[in-house]
Formats: sequence, C-alpha cells, structure tokens
Amino acid sequence: MVKKKYLLSFTPAIVNEPITYKMIKEYDLLVNILRAEVSERGGRLLIEVEGKPSQMNKGISFLKDAGVEVRELNEYVNRDEDRCTNCGACLSICPADAFEMDKQTWKVLFKGDRCIACGLCIDTCPPRAMKLRIW
Amino acid sequence: MTRTYEEINEKIKKGDVVVMTAEEVIKVVESQGLESATKEVDVVTTGTFGAMCSSGAFLNFGHSEPPIKMQKVWLNGVPAYTGLAAVDAYIGATELKENGDLDYGGAHVIEELIAGKPVYLRATAYGTDCYPRRSIETYISLKTINQAYLYNPRNAYQNYAVATNSSDTTLFTYMGKLLPNYGNATFSSAGQLSPLLKDPLCRTIGIGTRIFIGGAKGFVAWEGTQYNTTVPTKNGVPLRPGRTLAVIGDMKEMSTEFIRALYFHRYGVSLAVGIGVPIPILDQEVMKFASLSDKDLFAPVLDYSLQSRNRKPLKEVSYAELRSGSIELFGKKVRTSSLSSYYKARVIAEKLKKMIEEGEFLISRPVQPLPEERSFKPLDIRSKEEV
Repeated sequence: MVKKKYLLSFTPAIVNEPITYKMIKEYDLLVNILRAEVSERGGRLLIEVEGKPSQMNKGISFLKDAGVEVRELNEYVNRDEDRCTNCGACLSICPADAFEMDKQTWKVLFKGDRCIACGLCIDTCPPRAMKLRIW
Repeated sequence: MTRTYEEINEKIKKGDVVVMTAEEVIKVVESQGLESATKEVDVVTTGTFGAMCSSGAFLNFGHSEPPIKMQKVWLNGVPAYTGLAAVDAYIGATELKENGDLDYGGAHVIEELIAGKPVYLRATAYGTDCYPRRSIETYISLKTINQAYLYNPRNAYQNYAVATNSSDTTLFTYMGKLLPNYGNATFSSAGQLSPLLKDPLCRTIGIGTRIFIGGAKGFVAWEGTQYNTTVPTKNGVPLRPGRTLAVIGDMKEMSTEFIRALYFHRYGVSLAVGIGVPIPILDQEVMKFASLSDKDLFAPVLDYSLQSRNRKPLKEVSYAELRSGSIELFGKKVRTSSLSSYYKARVIAEKLKKMIEEGEFLISRPVQPLPEERSFKPLDIRSKEEV
C-alpha cells in the first residue's frame, strides 16, 4: 500500500461528472478529500489516495483519460527559513501535527509529508514565514 | 560569599570571568549545590525574543534645502509622530500604513531600516519664516540620517499570561490565533531564560544597566510602563505580569536577526525584539533566583473570550508544562504554542555570554534601582471631581 497526495483540476465541462467516485470504485482506492473548491474556472480537489501501487497508477491514468489534470503534490506549504524565528506559534494550530519542536535545538521542524494543505498555519505565523503553494 | 560589580569587571578585563547562560547554570546548581555554584559563576546571561508592542524608534532626518519644519511625516506610508522639533520623529511599532491594511506598519519600517533598505519619506508642513518648505518626498536609510534609536517604553515583561478561548468561535488576538472550546493555549515568556524572571526583585537590573538589545549594546532607560510589583508570587517570582523595562539602543548597530516585524492576523502589527540582560552573581540569593528552572516558574491561564480586565486565571501552569507541548485544562489535553522564540532567546543568552567572556561587554551597576513598589492602575470613567 502506498499513500500519495494529488491535486486534481476539473474543467467546467466535466465538473458535474462523478469521475472521482468512479475511480474510487473501479480501482479500490481509499480517498481522503483534504480540500475542494469549485469556481467559474472549474473545480479543484486535493486528495490523499491510499492503495496498491498498481491500482493507484491505473486510477490516476483513468482520471487523466477522463480529462482531469493531475498533479502529484509533495510540497503544499513552504517555509521562508529566513523569516521563521522558530517561535512555535504554528504548533498548536496545525491539525495534522506537521510542526514539531526539536527539544534539543528548540527549532521548529516542518514535516511537509504530514501537511494536508489546510493553510491554517499561514495566517497564524507572526513573522509571515509560511506560504501556501497549491491553490 | 559576596561579589561586587567592580570585581566582576576586573575579571572580564583580565579574561578570567566565569559566565553561564541561565539554562546552563540550572544544571550546575543542581549538581554542585547553590553555595559552590555561587562561588564559581560570576555572571548569568538571560535572553528573550518575542512580540513587544510597546516599541518604536526616534529618528532625526537632517535638514533639507530649504529647511522644513515637518508637521506630518510618513515612512513607507506609515505615519510617524512629529510633534517634536523640526526634523525629529518617533515611529511606533504598531502604527499602521494608511491604506486600510492591518499587515504593514511601523515595525516593518523599523525592520527595513535595520536591514539597510531605503525607506520612502514624505512630509508636509505649514511653512514658517525660518522653515519655508511645505513638503518633501525623498528616500532615507540608516546611512543617510543622523540618528535612529529604538526607545521602547515597555519591553521584557516579567512573566505573562497564557491565553486560551472558551467560546465557540476562533479569536484573533495579540496572543495569536485561539481556537474555539479551549482548542489551544499560547504563551509568551521565555521562562527560565527570561531576564526579569531570573532576577525577580530587580536586585541587579535598574536604570543604566547595560543590556543586549536587537544585536546592539543598549541600556535600561527607566522602569517600563505598566510596571507592577503588587502581584502574587510563587518561589519568590511573580505569578502574573509584573515588572517591565523601558529600553534604549542604537538602531545603526542592530541586526534583523534580533528585530523582526510581526503581523498578528486580524489584530495588527507588532515588533519582535531580542533582549538579553546579564545578571551579576553578587551573592547566593541572586544565584538562587537566577538558577530557577521552568518547573519552578508559573504563569496564569486566562480565558481571552472574556473581554474584561477582571478575568480570573483558570489555573496556574509551569513553564515546564507549557514547553512540553500541552497543558491540562478541565481534564482535557490542550496543545500549547509559544509566541516568543526560545531558540532565539538561547542564541541571545549565548551571544551575550560570549561578548562578556571576550571582554566586549562590561557589567554596569544601576545608576538607580527600579521602584520596589508600584501598583498597576486601571482606567475608569470618572468625573473631573473624582480624579
């Protein structure tokens, strides 16, 4: 089993079709919707997918064939290391525990792989060190 | 045993002074005992780096040709107070840019000046016989202006509240984002590294004490505003916000490593200031306080959804608990966040230690002690007769 995060972009023409549902059903994948947005430009969905690697690849191919733009995301939020003061204001806000205080150095560690791109840390950060990259 | 300021400075000049940070000395006292540690250590260094709203800078721009008596001044669009002499101004850290945004203010101007960046100056005037000019637009930098010094009326608070929120909506405060239903708690003091917690009675800190401020050597100028000695104590240390310092330092010697503009979402702008204070170990009592650790120092937890100055603490928690990542409130684990950087506080205490060891920083005896008794007065609505 592997777990990956993808940003799916739907054109307005296909926004009404249950494409994601079909992918989940057809390829037996576990999907967690982290973020969703529909606008005049179409729809965007940030999902975390868990499943067998072969099924995952087939599922993603299916999405692409259906006209969905698929981008695998490894980094959703990034940190300006110069601006970060390592205060830790982000620690109690992040629902995914993506920030950890290193109790030896008292530096704030950012575990990007845990990030679910909710963006809550962005306006929590007093020196404004966090930037959202996806939307 | 006792030790004098003069003896310590002699040792600094000779290069055989023993300096430890407030963190290091905790372990030494634990392992060797108070008496032996007092004999061994001459100076303990402290540090803190957090939001200190009551900050600002005095600037003297120099005279233009023809001269102007500045009546209104803006720096990068942020108004500065110029009800002083012709080309003097004070820019407050929390003053906002005049465009309706909350996220750029005096703190950013101060940080940009310290970074060596150009800042856009606009001023208007009514014109006088000796100052005929009525307006000016130009760029300034720390290199072009005469003086730029921070004068911060209230910094280095002795202890502070822990903020939480019992309501069912998120609050945006100067203590950061407070999640609903006690979703988190935020705190600000550097605890065992914090200057005034390590010399709680200010036995060695007074007017004229040389300190580290923003990367420069500066001084304690006065008691800070809202200075308060009438608070309950535990282990001899205030359990509530107590004493404060008014501090001063030359911006031209500062670094953005230790001065940083902050923006608290939907609250406004503030300035993170790095301050370090050396504590000369004059005797065993000074050492006893200087070696108190996070588990001996406590802060009150306040519910910031109650919009009243009279809110009572929900409980008192130690800085050791706060720093563990969570505290317990009503049987529930509540995650904690520090708003001040313990990492930077430690860098400051280490840097100050090094400066003293290398003979660059002498200890100063206060010219005058800070008040031993000072109460904290509220502002009530009163008639002329009642005041």
